[in-house]
Amino acid sequence: MRSPCMYSSRRLLIAAAVLLLGTPLAAHHSFAMFDSVNKATITGTVTRFDWTNPHVFIELDVAGTNGEVKHWSVELGSPSILQRSGWKFSDVKPGQKVTAIVNPLRDGRPGGMLYRLTLADGSMRGNGGPPPADPAAR
Amino acid sequence: MTTSPSARRIGMARIATAMVVLAIGCTGVAGAQSPPPAAAGRNISGAWEPLRGGPGAPPPTPPSPITLKAPYAAEWQARRSAQDEATRKGEPLATGGSQCIPYGVPTMMSIANYPVEILQTPAQVTIITEAFSEVRRVYLDRPQLKIDEVPPGYYGRSVGKWDGDTLVVDTIGIAPKVAGYQSLPHSNQLRVTERIRLTGPDVLQDQVTLDDPVVLEKPVTYTLAYKRLPNYEMVEFVCDNNREFTDDNGVVRMKVLEK
Repeated sequence: MRSPCMYSSRRLLIAAAVLLLGTPLAAHHSFAMFDSVNKATITGTVTRFDWTNPHVFIELDVAGTNGEVKHWSVELGSPSILQRSGWKFSDVKPGQKVTAIVNPLRDGRPGGMLYRLTLADGSMRGNGGPPPADPAAR
Repeated sequence: MTTSPSARRIGMARIATAMVVLAIGCTGVAGAQSPPPAAAGRNISGAWEPLRGGPGAPPPTPPSPITLKAPYAAEWQARRSAQDEATRKGEPLATGGSQCIPYGVPTMMSIANYPVEILQTPAQVTIITEAFSEVRRVYLDRPQLKIDEVPPGYYGRSVGKWDGDTLVVDTIGIAPKVAGYQSLPHSNQLRVTERIRLTGPDVLQDQVTLDDPVVLEKPVTYTLAYKRLPNYEMVEFVCDNNREFTDDNGVVRMKVLEK
């Protein structure tokens, strides 16, 4: 299992995040709490999948290189935003192994905004749009 | 005499509308006095998503300048500066939206990329937003009350009338606590005037004018556009799992679970 690793990217945040960051119009909350440049890749086991408003969440247990398990909370767009981009509420289930690339929280806690999710069958999901390309490595 | 398909559709719509009016009349509910929508341009029912540029989008209409009276101008600028600085630090300040407080009129008309659904009947236009499931009701062809007769709230009281193919909506009774356009403050004297019309078969425009003689030097006007979402089914939005919380410094943060 891969340990969290950091990427950098000059790519803009995708889909909902881009929409919400880039517009002067109202959104549920600012996305400034997330690092819009660096990304973390986490692979782990889903412990909980909340298909809820105002945001969908994936809870993950992630094993580090030392074998210690760290828990991550990953925020996604809302069910509406995800559904319109092809997601289904049943796409993720507890017990599944997934890999998530996230824009991590800037305060260092183990949480982030989803950039791209890879399911066990290799299929990918974006966060309100088509699955984005690999982030460019720094 | 031959009848075109569009004329037949309008005819059927009138018959259906008449049946609804009759049915309503049988229940004793007022509303039969308003004529049914008379022209295709007056049918704005449907689901609409925000349209901000791209194919089919109307030319952007720049918002009018915002000029506030003292002391509101200084307060507004100070608040915006504080928000900008907090955002730069990655510690955005909490807002009503981050706490799942309804946006109200007029902000609810444009929340990120969420659709709005418009349901039109002869006596009322109902607007339901997907984000936060907010509802506003526009009563057609009824007189407006005086501002001090309407209890201040998130949606106030809206009345509307057709001016050609434009639905003109007048809203008063918006509480000062309700979020404003561009975070603008407003008093209980705020009056929101909207001119809603189809600019194409599948494009809707809402020109919004804010007039507040207490706060604004002159009215502020901005324009929203929407694209029709055919056959769209609105998605449930109940804000019952809000993981964004406000810390002791007023900063909005995401709750991270321990397991």
